[in-house]
Amino acid sequence: MSAAARPSFGRLALNGAACLSLGFILLPLIFVTWLAFFRQEIPSFPPEGYSLKWFSAAASNKPFIDGFILSLQVGVLATLIGLALGVPASLALVRHRITLGPAVNTLLLLPLVMPGIVLGTALYVFQIETEIATGLPVLGSLGGLIAAHTLVVIPWVVRLVTASLTGFDRTIEEAAQNLGAGPLTTFWRVTLPSIRPGIVAAGLFGFVTSFGNLEMSLFLVGPGRTTLPIAILQYLEWKIDPTVAAASLIQIVLIAVAMVVTDRYVKLSRVV
Amino acid sequence: MSTAAPEAVAGARTGLAGALVVPATIFVAIGLLGPIAILFRYSLNQFIPGQFMVDGLTIENYVKFFTDSYYLNVLLRTVRVAVICTVACLIMGFPLAYVLARMQSRFKNLLIMLVVLPLFVGNAVRAAGWMTAFGSKGALNASLMGLGLIDHPIEIMFTENAVLIGIVAVNLPFMVLTLQSVIEGIPRNVEEAAFSLGAGPAAMFRRVLWPLALPGILAGTILTFILAMNAYATPVLLGGPKFQMMGPLVYGQFAQQNNWPFGGAISFILMTATIVLTVAAHLIVQRRYR
Repeated sequence: MSAAARPSFGRLALNGAACLSLGFILLPLIFVTWLAFFRQEIPSFPPEGYSLKWFSAAASNKPFIDGFILSLQVGVLATLIGLALGVPASLALVRHRITLGPAVNTLLLLPLVMPGIVLGTALYVFQIETEIATGLPVLGSLGGLIAAHTLVVIPWVVRLVTASLTGFDRTIEEAAQNLGAGPLTTFWRVTLPSIRPGIVAAGLFGFVTSFGNLEMSLFLVGPGRTTLPIAILQYLEWKIDPTVAAASLIQIVLIAVAMVVTDRYVKLSRVV
Repeated sequence: MSTAAPEAVAGARTGLAGALVVPATIFVAIGLLGPIAILFRYSLNQFIPGQFMVDGLTIENYVKFFTDSYYLNVLLRTVRVAVICTVACLIMGFPLAYVLARMQSRFKNLLIMLVVLPLFVGNAVRAAGWMTAFGSKGALNASLMGLGLIDHPIEIMFTENAVLIGIVAVNLPFMVLTLQSVIEGIPRNVEEAAFSLGAGPAAMFRRVLWPLALPGILAGTILTFILAMNAYATPVLLGGPKFQMMGPLVYGQFAQQNNWPFGGAISFILMTATIVLTVAAHLIVQRRYR
């Protein structure tokens, strides 16, 4: 082997290993997509033929429909509350020197690294105690679920909005104020438009995190009130067939669309 | 407050800043630290069958866990699975992270989206993909038999191997993204300098790339280890009811046994074991590479 050919051989091996890993990450999604179009119900390979009938089967499966609607409700509301709490906090954390600022920052990011199972059990007993203390039905309620999801949305908001604020040139704001704009006008006309990409990305990431959350939600859903990921999990514990694959594929497509939209505002490679 | 002194307007601004940051802080503090404190308190309560939970101050739930070989085996199995998965993620993740980090083509963003997408799709859906592949007539057995490599289907569904494959696939994107962001921060020049000074690719990797990427390697390893220790959907769906790991064990104690004190204790043991092993790994690596 000549000296010139050597690096390119190494390069080839490196690219080959990278492709294998990427393929390994994507393989389960490819199988689910394939299964959703099978003609026969049993997932045996090779398929006997292809059909679209499972999508209407998934669309008339009540747990999937109810789960989808609940996940959508919880995701949208938790994202809006998370933005309302997280955006002002990020502004304050980046702009002002706050007592214990780094500690507050760490606390706000903590739910992201907290394992879902531990978070779920802890919130479960917390909601039981709240129920005992107030007499209100908290556990298994829509409000309880939304509050829990808000907790996992906030870290994404803080992370993405903080990132978009750090590159912001403060002299533009000073210029606006020199030209006679009050603090509120400056915020609405100057600050907000320039951090909008960060807020949009935060909203979409928060929504997607909430929509896909499984482990934590498992402890907090009530009877007859399950989210889509839990409905899919419960179906899979019973059997695997093209109906559940079709429901999964709808979820994959939805999330992929959300990601492509986000990417138009903020390059994913910069924020993840 | 003393650090905020220099600016004249600092006092007024800090007041405003406080008003902005306090709601989120209170929400997370109450919603996160409060529940964990209550969970710990529950784990010290007694469980008397028929009487449900009885207030107490006892460590018997922890003693029960550490004296019963069944529960100890579940903990050991969980740690073993998490260690194997983390090592596999590091080995499989590094080449992909490196290629992505050094890539300058317009496809880079698309490839990163392909790494991120599975991450957001959720564990149940990805487990469904592996269930399709692993069945006795699934894609894996069908293709192996089609190639004439095996005569009868191999048993892979409901084994430890299925769980390992599932968890590695779930955690690999986290490792790749963490490593990629760190490698991107290492200037290309230092690699070229190593090459021009006569280092081969292996020596360059060992002496330059690895030490410089170590913070990212550590961060990625810790993240994937925590996730593997706490896996739920993958062991339930790919391991089946007989393959117990800590995550499903905690859920079973809460949802099926209604034994909240013991469930709380297991949850705490899981959290503590994760933190202790993470910190230990951190210290060992720091000492080794100081």
